[in-house]
Amino acid sequence: MLRVEGLCSGYGGFEVLQNISLEMGAGETVAVLGPNGAGKSTLLKVISGLLKPASGKIYFEGRRIDGKPSHEIVEMGISLVPEGGRLFPELTVYNNLLVGAYNKRTRRHFKESLEEVFSLFPIIKERQNQIAGLMSGGERQMVAIARALMSRPRLLMLDEPSSGLAPKIVASIFEFVKKIKERGYSVLMVEQTVKKAVGLADHVYLLESGRMVFSGDQTSFLNNPKIKSSYLGI
Amino acid sequence: MKFMENFRKGIPLLILVLLVICPFVFSSPYLLHIFILIFIWSYVTTVWSYMGRFGIISLGHGAFFGIGVYTTAILFNLYNISPWLGMLAGGLAAAAIAVVLGYSCFKFGVIGHYFAIATLVLAEIITLVIIALRDTLETGGKLGLTVRSLGTSPLFFQFENQLIFYYITLALLGLALLIWKKIDDSKVQRALKAVGEDEEAALSLGIDVVKYKTTMFAISAFMTALGGTAYIQFTMFADPTTCTGVGLSLGIVFKAIIGGMFTLWGPTIGSALIVVLEEYTRLALGSAFVSYSQIIYGLLIIILIRFLPGGLHGTLSDLFRQKREREVQVLLSGRQLADPHE
Amino acid sequence: MLILNAVINGLLFGGVLALMAFGMNLMFGVVQIVHLAYGQFIMVGLYLVYLLTVLYHVPLLLSCALATIAIALLSVLCYYSVVKPLLKAPPINQLLALAGLWIVLENACLAFFGATYKGVQVVLPVLHVGEVYIAASNLIGFGVGLITLGLLYLFLNKTYTGVAIRAVAQDAEVSGIMGINSRTIYLITFVVGGALAGITAACFVPVYAVHPHFGSAFTLLAFIIVILGGMGNLIGGFIGAFIIGVVTSVSSTLLNPEIGQIIALLICLLIIILRPQGLLGVRART
Repeated sequence: MLRVEGLCSGYGGFEVLQNISLEMGAGETVAVLGPNGAGKSTLLKVISGLLKPASGKIYFEGRRIDGKPSHEIVEMGISLVPEGGRLFPELTVYNNLLVGAYNKRTRRHFKESLEEVFSLFPIIKERQNQIAGLMSGGERQMVAIARALMSRPRLLMLDEPSSGLAPKIVASIFEFVKKIKERGYSVLMVEQTVKKAVGLADHVYLLESGRMVFSGDQTSFLNNPKIKSSYLGI
Repeated sequence: MKFMENFRKGIPLLILVLLVICPFVFSSPYLLHIFILIFIWSYVTTVWSYMGRFGIISLGHGAFFGIGVYTTAILFNLYNISPWLGMLAGGLAAAAIAVVLGYSCFKFGVIGHYFAIATLVLAEIITLVIIALRDTLETGGKLGLTVRSLGTSPLFFQFENQLIFYYITLALLGLALLIWKKIDDSKVQRALKAVGEDEEAALSLGIDVVKYKTTMFAISAFMTALGGTAYIQFTMFADPTTCTGVGLSLGIVFKAIIGGMFTLWGPTIGSALIVVLEEYTRLALGSAFVSYSQIIYGLLIIILIRFLPGGLHGTLSDLFRQKREREVQVLLSGRQLADPHE
Repeated sequence: MLILNAVINGLLFGGVLALMAFGMNLMFGVVQIVHLAYGQFIMVGLYLVYLLTVLYHVPLLLSCALATIAIALLSVLCYYSVVKPLLKAPPINQLLALAGLWIVLENACLAFFGATYKGVQVVLPVLHVGEVYIAASNLIGFGVGLITLGLLYLFLNKTYTGVAIRAVAQDAEVSGIMGINSRTIYLITFVVGGALAGITAACFVPVYAVHPHFGSAFTLLAFIIVILGGMGNLIGGFIGAFIIGVVTSVSSTLLNPEIGQIIALLICLLIIILRPQGLLGVRART
């Protein structure tokens, strides 16, 4: 479904990603883990078209997407939930969802998408007229995921969905991610909170200062002695 | 190379000598008039670029020019105070306003286009003040004022012989260029350049950004006002549209952009071009068509900002510099090959 | 009574001012550009109405409509020729390029129409309620202003495009990953902004005979209002317009008009320095 080959990218001459390759199949959940500053968010930014890669190729469902503007990439079926949610603070929740379904492909399915999102997150239905900027961090993250789902993605990308949230709320966010996964979405997740993310993932990648240092399934990740000592604290 | 280097350094001197003897060769009063205008506007534009080259874009220099013009004229017309003193008074008034506005802006982090807007508002305020004082201080409002003529009176900065203005304004321009050079060689230059790149870094280096910027703004305002005095003593007539306000401010900035605001000679080249362009359209099409030259000039600005943000002279000299740097690099690498231990 | 009169007429005039400021504000909020030539668009609109009505004898309302369309097109031209190429340039370059446009438009009008005042003779009654005299021109401007702003409110809150415009104003990057092409939104914003300048010009027809220097006066007036309300803050601008309407109306009744303007500009300067988010603004924009 998604294939990244030899991707390099960076800001102003400073290379953040070096020769990254990644592959995921339809319906899979993939977690990209790594410490702060490893380039995880940059990877998602490049895939979603917010950043242009310096070199390398990205294929989505067989079509090459690297270098395309972000609004075209959404149209193709990739949706990103940015770090911290980044809702439009002065719009109501309803209007945030409306913008989520902006692209031509999904605009005419707005009503259906809305029903689906409401069934996933019943609280949002009650809160739809609230101004987004006035919600709590956890609620914002939830609405942000809902907004991304409004574009009916085949691939949902989450940029550190747990960052800055209290542990209890983090748990509920991961519950949502699990629900989404069960509905058959492909999920590419970038995380620092290793254990929860690995629990959901079919495949795990480890990124360290811009390089992919590990790729494997859940069990091989958890049993890797080096990873055990430095990431799992065992 | 050495010869070329000396030759390059000698060019300004050569130009200076040529300009000094110029009036003896062509004694046409009209040409003198044009030269004086070029000198005044080059002077003001160069002085403006003291700040402009560091990215501190003032759209308020029209106000400082107007303060110089009107302070001199009013003090003389109403109180018979010599324009030489008026010049100083105008300069100090302009500097005082610059210190107050500059300090508050830089202190509160009003930079970039916000600073430009703040100074633009100042330009409009000064224009309105001049118009509002039409009766109180006999500024004549929008109709303008005429300076009382004394014929030739050196003590009162009045000369019938244009040649004197020619040399005075040439000297002013020379002074402005010299100070530009001095700033360029000084610590202030490095500090402000650092500021242009990263204000926080400069702060952490212990550079008092606010002080440097405010001082530069005050010097620039002071000298702009002096230009205003020279202008009014030369033309003996002032009105708000030509001597102050947003229009004039934009005129100064545009001259700098056209010539290139980052180089020593850019502002002078830009001013000379614009003055000649305006005179040419006036002569070729008649004074009713001055607006056509302004249209060309506005379009030129848009095109230049879009395609050559370094200005004409700036971009050209960048090209030369790149070429020179390449040559120097070749030279260096050549030497390295010859003597790797050096 | 004189003051009450001034206050009421000032409030009514505030309706048109709100419309004028809204256009500039919208462009700042969405495209992040200080449209220094905005007042010149209004001036060109006034000249177009004059040209069509007086010289070509087109009915007044039709020429107002045509002028509005023409200004919207001029705004599109401005977007493609000046703004779009400079979207990624430093704000100061955008500001100066638009200042260049200011000079071009002002002098183009000077060249074509000359430096005399050109106006359309519109005879409108002065209504009086008790002892308060209300200029019908102000009443019309107020009505048109409020209706237009009402429609804009619906547009920005109830339509896909309108909500997208607000989304881009709040977070252009995230708007992109929602599938919004910000360039298209910028273009739409310039169309809307241009049309607003045209409608403002139409409202000004019975009030002003136009002169080439009016453009800069309009730009500054819009500017003061926008800064007062906080740049990009549409509601702040709306309230600011009425404040400025009353302040200028009262001060030009009591003092001479320049002093009123000077006070307004000084306040404006203080706000830029001390409260860049605007007097009524709650959030700071960077």
